Amino acid sequence: MDAIMILAVFLPVLSGTLLLLSLTAKKRSGRACEKPGREELRSLHLAVAAALVLSAAAALLAAWSGERSLTLFELMKGIPVFFRIDDVSRLFVTLISVVWVVIGFYSFVYMEHEGKETRFFGFYLIVYGVLVALCFSGNLVTLYMCYEIMTLTSMPMVLHNGSREAIMAALKYLFYSMCGAYLGLFGIFFLYQYCDTLTFTPGGSLNLALASGHTGILYVAIFGMLIGFGAKAGMFPLHAWLPAAHPVAPSPASAVLSGIIAKAGVLAIIRVVFFVVGPDFIRGTWVQTAWMSLALLTVFMGSMMAFREKVFKKRLAYSTVSQVSYVLFGLSVLSQTGMTGALLHVVFHAVIKCALFSTAGIFIYRFGKTRVEELYGIGKQMPKTLWCYTFAALALIGIPPTSGFVSKWYLAQGALEAKVGVFGWLGPAVLLISALLTAGYLLPVTTNGFFPGNKVDAASLKKQEAPGGMLIPLAILAGLAVLFGLFPNPLIQFAGKIASAVL
Amino acid sequence: MNAAMLVLVVLLPILAGVLIPVLPFGSRRQMMVYIEGVVLLDSALTISLLIAQPQDAFELFRFASNLSISFRLDGLGTVFAGIVSVLWPLATLYAFEYMEHEGHEKIFFAFYTVTYGVTLGIALAEDVVTMYCFYELLTLVTLPLILHTLTREAVLASRTYLYYSLGGAAFAFVGMIFILSYGTTSNFVPGGVLDLAKIGDRTNLLLLIYVLCFMGFSVKAAMWPFSGWLPKAGVAPTPVTALLHAVAVVKAGAFTTMRITYYSFGAEFLRGTWAQAVVMIPVIFTIVYGCSRALKETHLKRRLAWSTVSNLSYILFGVVLMSPLGLVGALCHMIFHATMKICSFFCAGAVICKTGREYIHQLDGFGRRMPKVFAAFTVSGLALMGVPGLCGFVSKWNLVKAAVADGSTLAYLGIASLMISALLTAIYMLTISVRAFFPAKGFDDASIADVRDPGWKMLLPLAVFVAAMFLFGLHPEPILVRLQAVAALVG
Repeated sequence: MDAIMILAVFLPVLSGTLLLLSLTAKKRSGRACEKPGREELRSLHLAVAAALVLSAAAALLAAWSGERSLTLFELMKGIPVFFRIDDVSRLFVTLISVVWVVIGFYSFVYMEHEGKETRFFGFYLIVYGVLVALCFSGNLVTLYMCYEIMTLTSMPMVLHNGSREAIMAALKYLFYSMCGAYLGLFGIFFLYQYCDTLTFTPGGSLNLALASGHTGILYVAIFGMLIGFGAKAGMFPLHAWLPAAHPVAPSPASAVLSGIIAKAGVLAIIRVVFFVVGPDFIRGTWVQTAWMSLALLTVFMGSMMAFREKVFKKRLAYSTVSQVSYVLFGLSVLSQTGMTGALLHVVFHAVIKCALFSTAGIFIYRFGKTRVEELYGIGKQMPKTLWCYTFAALALIGIPPTSGFVSKWYLAQGALEAKVGVFGWLGPAVLLISALLTAGYLLPVTTNGFFPGNKVDAASLKKQEAPGGMLIPLAILAGLAVLFGLFPNPLIQFAGKIASAVL
Repeated sequence: MNAAMLVLVVLLPILAGVLIPVLPFGSRRQMMVYIEGVVLLDSALTISLLIAQPQDAFELFRFASNLSISFRLDGLGTVFAGIVSVLWPLATLYAFEYMEHEGHEKIFFAFYTVTYGVTLGIALAEDVVTMYCFYELLTLVTLPLILHTLTREAVLASRTYLYYSLGGAAFAFVGMIFILSYGTTSNFVPGGVLDLAKIGDRTNLLLLIYVLCFMGFSVKAAMWPFSGWLPKAGVAPTPVTALLHAVAVVKAGAFTTMRITYYSFGAEFLRGTWAQAVVMIPVIFTIVYGCSRALKETHLKRRLAWSTVSNLSYILFGVVLMSPLGLVGALCHMIFHATMKICSFFCAGAVICKTGREYIHQLDGFGRRMPKVFAAFTVSGLALMGVPGLCGFVSKWNLVKAAVADGSTLAYLGIASLMISALLTAIYMLTISVRAFFPAKGFDDASIADVRDPGWKMLLPLAVFVAAMFLFGLHPEPILVRLQAVAALVG
């Protein structure tokens, strides 16, 4: 038994559960309706911060201290609940831990505006533990189990404000995810039959001798898994939950849903394609073609929808739809460079999108402004916030020397290198168009914010900078978005190492 | 352990049940002690029988040369008798608290207890004649339970139930005659009893008879197009819907189809024929149909009843795969579905009994006032969906494993229907939980101030079932090994 791995998973889950239980205890004593006092809120923040930092430390320690694996128990004969740490887990766990802590601190201030803090932080902690378990998963069934639990435990964060709209959005999130998960499960059944093992093996473990004669149904099953796990990653046709869930969820929840939980879908797809099926099995088949087409379609469609959308958080949600499909496109070309680019974009997009959603949250927290046309002159009121936003936006567009440029460079390069026919040039072209659209939907907020023209009376705008508790996390994220672009080499090497191991 | 005990465990509840209306009980409490005592005693005897596994048969009496009423315990019967004997005492305990406000308790418990014996009779029957007799008897003794409230709705429901069941039994009867005339024996033998020499070139006729017989028995398992009676029968008191319409009666339907498929006609005779396709199509359709009807339904118990329709066809799907793996999946789901569905029904019953609310839209915020009941309900919902770690996943896994191994197009279609059904299950179960735990903004807590968790007699069975769902989900291997041993014989 590896204590540190268990601690990394169960510490956040248990502390989150305790928080939720304290809520029922409070209800029993009849104080449910009271707003928590200042003292109470402070001790809550302290407890959550301690739990978060300790869990993150445990997770990082587990990830970076050598080879670790752990069999918890056997679900059925030959199907253990099995955790193992490899380089993919390391990358994802580090990303998730950093972002989760930073956004956690951001929410201490933000959630004053939403209320019901205990419930929010309870689920926030639980989901973190589940995500760590997801990253550590060593076989497909364990991954699926964590994936389901992640959906169930993250749903209450979406319906947090309790409006009818929020509840409908949460259900939509839940059912899209479930639909995706069952498509995934459908594939798992077949892979279990035709793979030597469901344990993740770089390069896959499909038994070609067993599978011969059943390739048709296997292709269907694998394609189903791509669509299914793609639901979390916002890939067409199961993307519609994103624009519904994000505007109603509290901003920190939107941030992690977009930045991190959408990446859980990517992680699942990486595991399926590169660690169970093996990329060679689908190379050059209709599955790869369909996957590339869907990814590119989603890239374009997401950007287009974002461009037309006027509700700020919904615009960012469509942007996520588009950007996560960059990652999927990078994976779908099945080349080393493409996969390197995809992994880089996983990291960069997570950081950038969390920064953007944090900005949106600050606008809501301070002014209650949710639509882009309300944001004229906002740069006069909170210049620091808007500068952070601008840096993050530039990074997402991919303007050198910011991080987005690096990942997109590799993505385009990967597509050109791979022998994928028409997609070799179509891919980069779509990425380019989408970058233009990205500029088109992100930068007007900056320009109108700093130069409102005569839409608002600039003289009447007073400086109302965001509180430090929100500005500092935002600045960290925006800073990272730029820094990764200036010093990308360690990350590129790490991603390249992962890619070269499986391709 | 004597084989005569087999008869004893069947007759004890029947006789004790018949005596309930005539015995002079001093108080309700005395009656409760008597009934629970009888049921517990019978369960204890049954379980000790299941452990001892006597091999001999016991013949009660003989009508004619090869027509007899006789009992014998085998692997398949062990599974069904095990489910029934564990659940019955718990359900009886629950019924005591529930029936307090329903009235006519003596009559109710008389039939309720008799049903126990009859169900065991089906499980322990040695041959097709005995099974058929008890099967018919089951219809008759459960009829008054549906009729119990004597409302117009109940009368109509019981009439529907009667027509469906008797009609189905008629088809089953035809099957029985053919088994008697073309079989080497009327007993149940793993692998089937058909005498191929006698059949000669009449294979197609026999296959047709199998289809009729399967359809006849599947009426009780509520397969489409014979599923209409089950949701209607939801007018019965909840202990009946929970135990009989989620476990005893409907599982008796599934059990009898297993018997005729694997022990009379024989899986080998049927596998790959047109008859298999003909029975598989309605089964697959029912899996999706039941779920979609559940989704449309706004009445809590009827929604669960439609869910049962769908889940019973999971079991039938395992049966009609006609392979040992399929039988493992079917038996596995038979056990696990019993646990999950009785749990969700008991939760529904607790709500109805304690608050009088019957429709789903009235359940806003209930999770806050009845946290224990709705926690159990949510767990059973997650289990039905097949979240790994709970028992539903294990049975689904085994069913699909059998289907993938089968490799036919219809089997693949069946897997797809299982997945669609899982999604629909998620929708119809979780919307209730979300509504209960997260009422919409502006919800008036005072409107449900009267709602609270029920007493221990209702909560104890719930706790047992929740624990069982986790236990089966996390450590199913001991059960699976036994089921595999049963199924290995029939291949």
